[in-house]
Order: sequence, then C-alpha cells, then structure tokens
Amino acid sequence: MSVSTADIKRINPLIPIRGKITKIVQETPDVKTFHITTLDGQKPFTPLPGQLAMFSIPQVGEAMFSITSQGPNHLEMSIKEVGQLTRFLHEVEEGQECGIRGPYGNGFPIDYCRGKDLLFIGGGIGLAPVRSLINYCVENRKDFGKLIVVYGARSYADLVFKEDLFENWPKVENMEVFVTIDRAEEGWNGHVGFVPAYVEELNISPMVTITCGPPIMIKFVLQSLAKMGFNDKDVITTLEMRMKCGIGKCGRCNIGSCYVCLDGPVFTLEQLKLLPPEY
Amino acid sequence: MKTIVKSRLAELLQTMAQDFRVLVPVKSEAISQFVPWQEGLTVNLEGNTVLPPKDIFFPQTEKMYKFKVKGSSVDIEEFAEDVQKQVIFGIRSCDMQSIDCLDKVFLTKGYEDQFYKTKREKTLLVALSCTKPQDTCFCESMGLNPQEAPGADVQGYDLGDALGFVAKTPEGEELLAKYGSLFTEVNAVPQKVEGFNLKADVAGIPEKLAKMFDHPIWGEVSQKCLGCGACAYLCPTCHCFDISGTVKGDQGYKFRCWDCCMFSEYTRMAGGHNPRPSKKERVRNRFLHKLYYFKDRYGQLLCTGCGRCIAKCPVGMDITAIIEKIKEAEV
Repeated sequence: MSVSTADIKRINPLIPIRGKITKIVQETPDVKTFHITTLDGQKPFTPLPGQLAMFSIPQVGEAMFSITSQGPNHLEMSIKEVGQLTRFLHEVEEGQECGIRGPYGNGFPIDYCRGKDLLFIGGGIGLAPVRSLINYCVENRKDFGKLIVVYGARSYADLVFKEDLFENWPKVENMEVFVTIDRAEEGWNGHVGFVPAYVEELNISPMVTITCGPPIMIKFVLQSLAKMGFNDKDVITTLEMRMKCGIGKCGRCNIGSCYVCLDGPVFTLEQLKLLPPEY
Repeated sequence: MKTIVKSRLAELLQTMAQDFRVLVPVKSEAISQFVPWQEGLTVNLEGNTVLPPKDIFFPQTEKMYKFKVKGSSVDIEEFAEDVQKQVIFGIRSCDMQSIDCLDKVFLTKGYEDQFYKTKREKTLLVALSCTKPQDTCFCESMGLNPQEAPGADVQGYDLGDALGFVAKTPEGEELLAKYGSLFTEVNAVPQKVEGFNLKADVAGIPEKLAKMFDHPIWGEVSQKCLGCGACAYLCPTCHCFDISGTVKGDQGYKFRCWDCCMFSEYTRMAGGHNPRPSKKERVRNRFLHKLYYFKDRYGQLLCTGCGRCIAKCPVGMDITAIIEKIKEAEV
C-alpha cells in the first residue's frame, strides 16, 4: 500500500497511516537509523529527496524528521536522541509499529541540480537530509556532474553513515568524499578541524552546494562559501523549526510569511536573505 | 425585502431548527457566544458576541484519531464524524471576514484540512448588519462594511422592530424560500450605521512593516504584554493549533487544540533551541503576522477590526494604537 504525494492530499493529511520499524542501525552513540515500511512491507509513500515525514509512536509523541534515504520498499529516518519521543525510539526493537504521515515540504531542487557539479557539506546529524539527495545522485549518476562530499563531526564515533562515507560513496565514479573530525584522536589518520575551514582548505571552485548541520556550522560555512565566490542562488540549505501539522496550517513554523513545513525546509541563500533572520 | 417582526424570531428559529442545527448568539452571565438554538433561549442581537464563532468550524479542542497499543503493535483508527447541516444566524461582518481568513488557511495552499472542511461545507451563513458599533469596534478601518458581509448566504438587516433578509447566494435563496410563509415582503431601508469611536489607518502598514523587523518598537510594545494569550483565543482569525494526545492504559486519542504564539514554549524545539525566546520576538511575530505576513501570503490582513482583543486585554494593549505607532515610526 504505497501512497503518492497526490494521494496524501486526498486523504486526511493529519492522520497517520500505520507503519512498522523493520530495521534499526546504530549510527553513533546517540543516532540510529530506522527503516520504516507499511504493515505489509511496502514503502509508505515515495518522497522527493529533502522532503519530511511526521513520525509517531502514538502513545508517546509525534515529530517531523527528514527522510534520509529510501529503498524500493522502505523509508529511512536517522534520528538523534534529544527528547521524549526520540528517547523512546532509541529503546524500541525492530518490529515496533508506528504512525507515519507525509511526505511534506518542497524537497531539493533536483531539476536545477541536474547536469551540474554538486558540493555536499554536512555536520553531525545534518548529513541526514543531505544524504537523501546524495543517494539520489548516486542512483542517477549520469544525470549529474562531479559529486563532492565534505562532512565532519565532533569525533570518529559521532560520524554518521560510516559505510557510505568510507566504502560506498568513494567507489562511485567522479565522486570524492572528505571527512574531518573536530579534535585529533588515537586511531584517526584523516583530517582534523572544523568543516568551514576544511571547505576553504580544499579550495573548491564555486558550484551548486547543499549544506546542512548545526546552526553555528551553517553560519561559518556560508561565510566561507561567500569568501570563495559561491553564488547565493547556488547555496542550498534546509531549515528546522518546531512543526506540528506539517501542512502549513498550525502556524508555528513560520519564518516571515513562509512556512518551513510547506514552503521549505529547503531554501537557497538567495531566498533566506529575503526572510527575517528568525531561524 | 423579506422581513419578520423581532417578536416572531423564535418562531422562525424553531422552524429552521427542524431542518438544521441553528447556531444563534446567546448571552449567559458575562459571556456571549453562538450556541445551538433550542426553545426558550433568548437570542442576543445587541453588539457582537464576546467569543468568536470560529469554534463552530475549528473547535477549541477536537479529537483527531484514536489508537490502541498492544506490545509493539499500534492500531490507529479515525473517529467517525457525523456533521449536521447547520445555519449560523446573526453573524456580523467582522466575523464573516474572519471566516474568509480561516477558509484561506484551512482550504488553500496545497492541502485541505478535512476536519475544518467537513463542517464548513455543511454550513449556511445568515449575516446580520451592525447599526451600533461598540466602543472597541473598528471594522470600517479594515475596509469592511458593517451592513454587508461578503460571503454570507443571506444578509440580514436590523430594521428596528423587525429583521429583513436578502439572499446573496442560491443556497441563501433556497433557505429563504423554504421558510417563505413566515416572512412579509416589505420595501424596507436598513438603518444607518452610527459612527465609529475607534479608527486605524492601515494604508501602507504591511509595506512599512516589511522594513521594521529589527525596529525598537517591538521592545517597547511588548513590555506590558503578559503573554496570557487572551487576545489570540478571542480573535476570530487566530488559528494556530497544537497537536497533543492522551493515553489511558493501552489506548488513547490524539486531539488538536487552540494554541497561541504568545506562549513561551510555542516555538521551542526538542533540542532546547527557541527562535522566539522573549516576549519581544513573540509580540513582534503576532503583529507582523496580522498586519504583514498574512497579507503577503493570502492577500489580506489577519485582523477584521472586531475589537475583542482590545476589549479583553488585561493590560490594555490596543492594536489600533500599535498601528498608529507603526505609522509614526521612523525607518
């Protein structure tokens, strides 16, 4: 029972469909990736890269998460333990049933990215939304130019999607992956330092950039990209605000006259500069 | 014009109530609001209701779906909603305008809110003209005509001893025809509206606010606000809601309830970050939403000049005075 974006608009978009967690991957000490299907093992719906879903354990809570990847029969969401719902999720086992509704939001501008070289910049759990587009580009490799990933986290243990970073993506044709951690540690031979500085060191020429991470990282990455001559309309990021309805009605995720759940979460820096600085 | 003397209003409502759920303005102690008509009720046509009629389509709390938990299994089930055909009788121009705002929020921009839509579609609107604005009314300043409510199926007029009705839509035509035997056809002229005590000049306000996000005015204006949320709950256009749930044993249900952007937790995220940490940011958001963001998104202001927020604010915040301040502010 797969539901398309058009279908979700016909049924009640505020009521979740029943789902099941079929696989749980421990990414870092506080991040797990959950594979979600319908009860009969199908993909709940087919999101665009960058879209969001409202995920619920009805007796505990409901929250919006980015869909980090998808397979033919499942969706993946990578979730950090930060509050009541996520704490519960980090305790459950495979087979746990849940509620899911979506997909919500605009997703990444794939048509605009098509045929271009792409630079992906992620920090910490911020690689989760970006990964949906990276995997889309990998699956449709011929449609895109060079792919570069620059990713960092506090420590080796905090790096998410290690299999993708160190095994899958480096093998992809014309794709480079650069990983850094904040402070040196035993057993790590890779780069040490913060993501914005690393991006500058790599001396990458301006291209379409997709970036997501903690607000402080984004702030400095944007400064670095500006210094390196990147065009505001080619700097793409995803925002986060508290969301409840997911369909632009409940009112809480507004930034100016935009609703992040509906008009976002993906914005270009050019668009962000027109919004009040409330994020 | 189809008219009926006021002394026969109860007879009209009683007849209508055989076919519809008829909601009428009724005063009970200090509160007046729209309640379902039943024999013996006294309809209060003096002034506007204290509580806005928005809860007819968008109840203060509304059950959304129920669930049952058994180990790791979770069953989700919709509530069967039995919505009756209904008539709102005696709604004022300001509140009709607020329904237009709510329609834009709940029925446009990609998604339709099914809970709102089911009730809205089954509702006929009989508006009633205002002849005597209250001290806190300023609908005229917001571009409304207190005697003609856009979007009503029937426009009612207060003719002194009688009420007059003119159909504005085919559905309104049908409604009046249905109870035609109760009306007398009279060539009546509606009473003139008395002048407004309160005025606000909103010309150019949205454009000016676009440049006032960082203006010191928000620090000043927010100082006396208590953050109690009375303004939002009494506002006929405020529509923010929270989604919450209740669990008893192995079952529970999810509901939505009115929320308010004046509350400190409103935008606080699970990780603790709050983009609107103090009253300054929250008051700014409220007035920018009403007087700028909503216009930018839906083409009209999110204020109808009903004056309820002014009448009931415990510390005397007055949106018309704030509009005046914005007007005078240097940018």
